[in-house]
Amino acid sequence: MAAGWRERRGATPEGVIRKHHGDRLIVIFTVLLMFIGLLVIYAIGPQRANLMNSVFGFEYDSGYFFWKQLLSIGLALGAFWAMSVVPYNFVLKHGAKVLWAGFIACALLAVGYWVGVIEATNGAARWIELGPLGSVQPAEILKFGLLLYLAVFLAVRVKTGKINDWKETLLPVAAIAGFAVLFVIGIQKDLGTGISLTAIIVAMLFVAGINKKIIFSLFGVLLVAGMVMIFTSPHRVERVMTYLQGDNTSTEDADAYHIQHAKIAIGSGGMFGVGIGSSVQASGYLPESMNDSIFAIIGETFGFVGTVALLGLFVALLMRLLSVMDGMIDLRLKLLAAGVFGWLGAHVILNIAAMIGIFPLTGITLPLLSYGGTSMIFIAAALGLVFQLSKYTVHSSRIKEATDEDSRSRRGVRRTRYASRRGA
Amino acid sequence: MKPELLQGSRSRILASVVLVIAAVFVLRLFYLQVIQHNHYVSLAQQEQVKKERLPATRGEIYALSGDSPVKLVLNETVYTVFVDPAVIIENDSADKVEKVMKAVAGGNVVDDFDKLLDKEDSRYQIIAKRVTRTQAEKIKDEKLSGIGFTAVSQRVYPEGQLAAQTLGFVNADGVGNYGLEGYMNDELAGKDGRLETVTDVSDVPLTIGDRNIREPAENGKNIVMSIDRNIQSKVEQALAAGIQRSRATDASVVVMDPNTGRVMAMANLPTYNPSEYYKVNDAALFNNGTISAPYEPGSDVKTYTMAAAIDKGVATANDTYYNTDSIKVDDRTITNATKGHTGVISFQTALTWSLNTGFVTLAERLGNGKDITKTARDTMYEYFHDRLGLGQNTGIELANEQKGIIISPDDADGNAVRYSNMSFGQGLDATLIQVTSGFCALINGGNYYKPTVISGYVNGEGEYVQNATPQPAKLGVVKETTSQQIKEMTHVARSSFRGIDKAGYYIGGKTGTSQVIKNGVYADDETIATYLGYGGSDIDHPEYVIMVSIHGDHRILGGSADAMPIFTDISNWMLDYLKIQPKG
Repeated sequence: MAAGWRERRGATPEGVIRKHHGDRLIVIFTVLLMFIGLLVIYAIGPQRANLMNSVFGFEYDSGYFFWKQLLSIGLALGAFWAMSVVPYNFVLKHGAKVLWAGFIACALLAVGYWVGVIEATNGAARWIELGPLGSVQPAEILKFGLLLYLAVFLAVRVKTGKINDWKETLLPVAAIAGFAVLFVIGIQKDLGTGISLTAIIVAMLFVAGINKKIIFSLFGVLLVAGMVMIFTSPHRVERVMTYLQGDNTSTEDADAYHIQHAKIAIGSGGMFGVGIGSSVQASGYLPESMNDSIFAIIGETFGFVGTVALLGLFVALLMRLLSVMDGMIDLRLKLLAAGVFGWLGAHVILNIAAMIGIFPLTGITLPLLSYGGTSMIFIAAALGLVFQLSKYTVHSSRIKEATDEDSRSRRGVRRTRYASRRGA
Repeated sequence: MKPELLQGSRSRILASVVLVIAAVFVLRLFYLQVIQHNHYVSLAQQEQVKKERLPATRGEIYALSGDSPVKLVLNETVYTVFVDPAVIIENDSADKVEKVMKAVAGGNVVDDFDKLLDKEDSRYQIIAKRVTRTQAEKIKDEKLSGIGFTAVSQRVYPEGQLAAQTLGFVNADGVGNYGLEGYMNDELAGKDGRLETVTDVSDVPLTIGDRNIREPAENGKNIVMSIDRNIQSKVEQALAAGIQRSRATDASVVVMDPNTGRVMAMANLPTYNPSEYYKVNDAALFNNGTISAPYEPGSDVKTYTMAAAIDKGVATANDTYYNTDSIKVDDRTITNATKGHTGVISFQTALTWSLNTGFVTLAERLGNGKDITKTARDTMYEYFHDRLGLGQNTGIELANEQKGIIISPDDADGNAVRYSNMSFGQGLDATLIQVTSGFCALINGGNYYKPTVISGYVNGEGEYVQNATPQPAKLGVVKETTSQQIKEMTHVARSSFRGIDKAGYYIGGKTGTSQVIKNGVYADDETIATYLGYGGSDIDHPEYVIMVSIHGDHRILGGSADAMPIFTDISNWMLDYLKIQPKG
């Protein structure tokens, strides 16, 4: 198998584009974000272990969470590296299989839950336990598969000029999306992942150049669907009420408590924060302090300076993704980058918005920082893929030219030529 | 439509959306972290900082036994038993709880506690109080569900009722009431410490931040009273015997050291059990009569009039006057209670037989010899009030001291008739402690000591630290020679009762029989009998002053018949107890 994709190296349809150095900033930002997350987990992990031990009777070592996260980062960097070297054509070719795998895993989870093999955590079954290997979230496989599959699917539709076609494009996408969302939100009760799935699809559709009318009606549908989802689940109604009531909520409600304590953590950080190892909110006041609420702990620890810097890092990374996207000639790759942008962007925005109390809680993680393996491994894999794509960018001024079948020319693209010489 | 043409603009739209959202986030973060910073810090502190009170241990109270302190009041931890009826109903265990409680703590349960066990909609009912540790352990051993204990510190009195009214008691809130407990409450209570720590959500203290405060409790002072438990005990026995003998209802005694002002015993009967203060229905029982029940001191105060006259040089013991058993002051005629000693008699005779006319005469001699002039009244007021402390709070360290009334000559009521009555102890209100303290000055050479019930304290190491020997509050309130004559005169007066004192000692005293004012008029069927005296090896060394008062409802009691035997009983015992060597 490994030999199989090696043979195809360089055999891209747009073979005219030479491979060059990737966008190192993507690597730097990714590693930096992982390191910040690890640092915070290093600082608050012992408190967390202590609390888990005393409240739930675990016997966690004080370094447990740090080492676990370090392992996750190792695996995530491995996934990043793998996706940055395995030729994207190979990956894209198997997109449908990954999507199927995701669906099957989700179905297994649902069945396992119904027959009682899998226990629910916090009222939702989201993990498949793999014994000593830890646990895996099928929804993450689904996300990755959807990303790959739709990139190819939509690119073909664009090329055949049927991107706005109801039967050829929109219904199939809606079917796949609906199915995925049904699994994730309906069965796994994971609104956060559902939103991030939707964000991936919307970002790809948007970049695929879908008709503005359709975009507006899509937003209309999403709004209605969102409303329906909110009002069919009392749990979500509470979340929204919590959000609307702001500070005037009683802390008896779990979500109100969560947001209030996220704000306390962030607000008490002040300009420069209380410093590493001095977070008190992490000692059990703030729920999910290492997972969904890690941004609030960063706010407490590093203050306004820290939160703005972190936000800056994420924005810079997102801008790099857009830049890679702009440099893609192959539509599949462009859509791939768009999907990753949607994925990362939705997570960052929804997570932070909930923590600072301007959007209801959705239970979405802060990518690359939150404690937990599966989500980090898959987002790192997606970023690794984009990093690989960044080796094949062309200057945006040439894109128009390149798409004009008759005037393909590589002249004037200094970087490509330079890179090819170095690469030789 | 060519997507290639659009993509540039769509990418810019995505970039703009991200940047706008990021800008909103930055503004929001600035608001939360910079503008609202203090608000969130205080919210954080409210829940992170746990405040705890470190209760101070209340000081214990000691009495003396000779020279060493013995515990009179100490602390003990007892338990309040409460139940959660909801749990008991759920487990259907009311019968078992009832059985166990009756068996183990039958004397401590509250009335109808069995009904409280079935109280629906209640999660907390107190079913027993003041359960000892042993009892609590036994109840715990039964492993009943829905039952709990709250530790409470309470006072314990190893000597029972001894000196109850002097001690006072500590109420359920830990506040001292009456007596020493009331007066010295702040010192005894000490100061609670406080503990402020940043804790995690399960209240486990963290070592984070600089908000940790630890102020240890300052325990209350362990006070050593000047009360001698043996004298106190003897005095209470003597009082009880006296009440029985005279069929009286109440009686009080103060025993003081005239050379220091220290109170050696102070007792009133009836009294109460301080460990069961909450069972007392009549709050009057809490009052220490010796300091809070002013009365007309009567003839005991004749010694004061005599002292003033001697001090002013207008009379001596052997000076004489013409006694007709009655004397006219303005429109009033004053008569003697004891009649027949008419003719020219000495003031010693007047004192010995307690003849009112003699002391009215002395009051006249303090003036112009015929009338109780303003000068005479001023002089008497100066001696009674200013020098010897009648009608003034003595400042003894006991709560609820009353000062009584002594009407000044500047007052409209302070006329000659008033002062003629005052010369033999009527028309003024004073407390036993005032009369006793003034008398101490009269017989100790003329120095007034502020009465005190405290002789020192026990420090943290358990050592008895004595206060400095008290110094006179007022020096030379009467001349030493005056003091000498008062001692002689009271000794002579007492000597008219033969054979009551142990031979070889120098004992002096004065009887008093005061009328009781009921509804504004003197009652003719009730008196307060008193006796005020001192004792020692010889005239120069008085070692104790004892003041006795005894009273019965609708009983006419006499100073010599009813109060003096109690004095004599205590006095003779004191001579032995204090190991005073006879000289005379």
